Amino acid sequence: MTETELKYEDALRQIEQIVEKLENNELDIDTMGEQLKTAKKLIRLCKDKLTKTDDEIKKILECQK
Amino acid sequence: MNAPLSLFELNNLVREVVSTSLSMEYWVEAELSEIREVRGHCYMELVQKDLFSNTPVAKASAKCWKSRWMYIRPKFEQVTGQYLRSGMKVMLKVYADFHEAYGFSWIVTDINAEYTLGDMARKRMQIIAQLKKEGVFDLQKELSLPVFAQRIAVVSSENAAGLGDFMRQLTDNSYGFKFHVELFPAIMQGEGIENSVIAALNAINGRFEDFDAVVIIRGGGATSDMSGFDTLALAENVANFPLPIITGIGHERDESVLDMISHTRVKTPTAAAAFLLEHLEVVWHILVDAETEMVTIAQHRIETEKQRLLHVAEKIPVLFSLVKTRHENQLDKLLMNIISLINERFSSEKHNVMMLEEKLKSLVDVRLQNEKHHLLMLEQRVKALDPELLLSRGYSITLHNGRVVVDASILKTGDEVETKVRKGIFKSIIK
Repeated sequence: MTETELKYEDALRQIEQIVEKLENNELDIDTMGEQLKTAKKLIRLCKDKLTKTDDEIKKILECQK
Repeated sequence: MNAPLSLFELNNLVREVVSTSLSMEYWVEAELSEIREVRGHCYMELVQKDLFSNTPVAKASAKCWKSRWMYIRPKFEQVTGQYLRSGMKVMLKVYADFHEAYGFSWIVTDINAEYTLGDMARKRMQIIAQLKKEGVFDLQKELSLPVFAQRIAVVSSENAAGLGDFMRQLTDNSYGFKFHVELFPAIMQGEGIENSVIAALNAINGRFEDFDAVVIIRGGGATSDMSGFDTLALAENVANFPLPIITGIGHERDESVLDMISHTRVKTPTAAAAFLLEHLEVVWHILVDAETEMVTIAQHRIETEKQRLLHVAEKIPVLFSLVKTRHENQLDKLLMNIISLINERFSSEKHNVMMLEEKLKSLVDVRLQNEKHHLLMLEQRVKALDPELLLSRGYSITLHNGRVVVDASILKTGDEVETKVRKGIFKSIIK
């Protein structure tokens, strides 16, 4: 799944899964860096989506007026 | 005894007596029992019946010469709306006439049409009283014309001009209303009216669900005979009819019984069509008004909803920014969580490694110590086994072909062996 196709909810779930694995000590040290990188990327994606939606809402409502 | 007279002479005497003693003109009330027109002259038979037994108490012939008849007849028909016919009560102005060859006859010079009219009215009153007694007089008025009265059964004579007027008026309406009209032909003149109209009504009654209303129309001059519409049987039929009946039988002076009991009475076929159109027009306006009202209500509703939406929409950015902040906080928390978990894990791993390192160091020390001890032990054992030491104690080592001899049986006679002692080596031959 590419990042543009990833839904907000799915991204959030992935982040939570990473946290869950960390909590349960299910992650090995070798992949930890990779997982952190992924988590950061997903968080960035989620924040971008939130900002984009906010902008869109404002734009749509301005058009209606 | 006088000499006999000839019939002519005798009749001549009568004629003289009649003309001298009955020289005036008289008004006489009588019932017509017969009437016929021959070559423009009118010949009538008059009768007076006993009030109770109905048997004639007086009879006489009457004539109206063409020259008078052509004035009297139209005047009568104009006033009464009827032809002179048998059974009619009339008041005639007459003078006596006796003709030697044709006998006695009353010669009519005038007719009192109002008298007949009064008699007709009285008959109508009787019919009305009878209908009221039967409780059917108002039945038609209690019916209501359907909202969409467009399926019309017409009772009329086929070739009447009035029917054409009716159809034209109904078809060429400015609204473009469509009517389904079906003609039930009937005789609308003279004696046949009653039976013919009743037959037409019966035919309609057989299919009354196919129609919304019945129109009885009759076009024609004011002098036509209308009496056929004033009969009890026809009135009863109309009164009890299940559909509203509209009459347009064209009578200027006064209503026929049919007009009185019908649902709606108009004067002419054209007016009947106009009435139906007007009725539909009212319905049409009601529909148009309803349409306008619906549009207004809908528009109002749409406007209200639009305002509501706008109001709601204004709240969206604020609400969403709340959602956004919440989600951002959640994400930040998740990241912090991840980082702290990773840090925790790392420090724990580091600790593990450190512990292992410590453990390793001590283990290596122990091992080294052990090995050292082992080596020492080995050294001592080696030392104890040193051959030099044995040689110095007097032991010797015998070698054959460079190998130590430990078994004498392997040596053969003549083999040369080397014997090593503490100091020096000597050779020996086996015997």
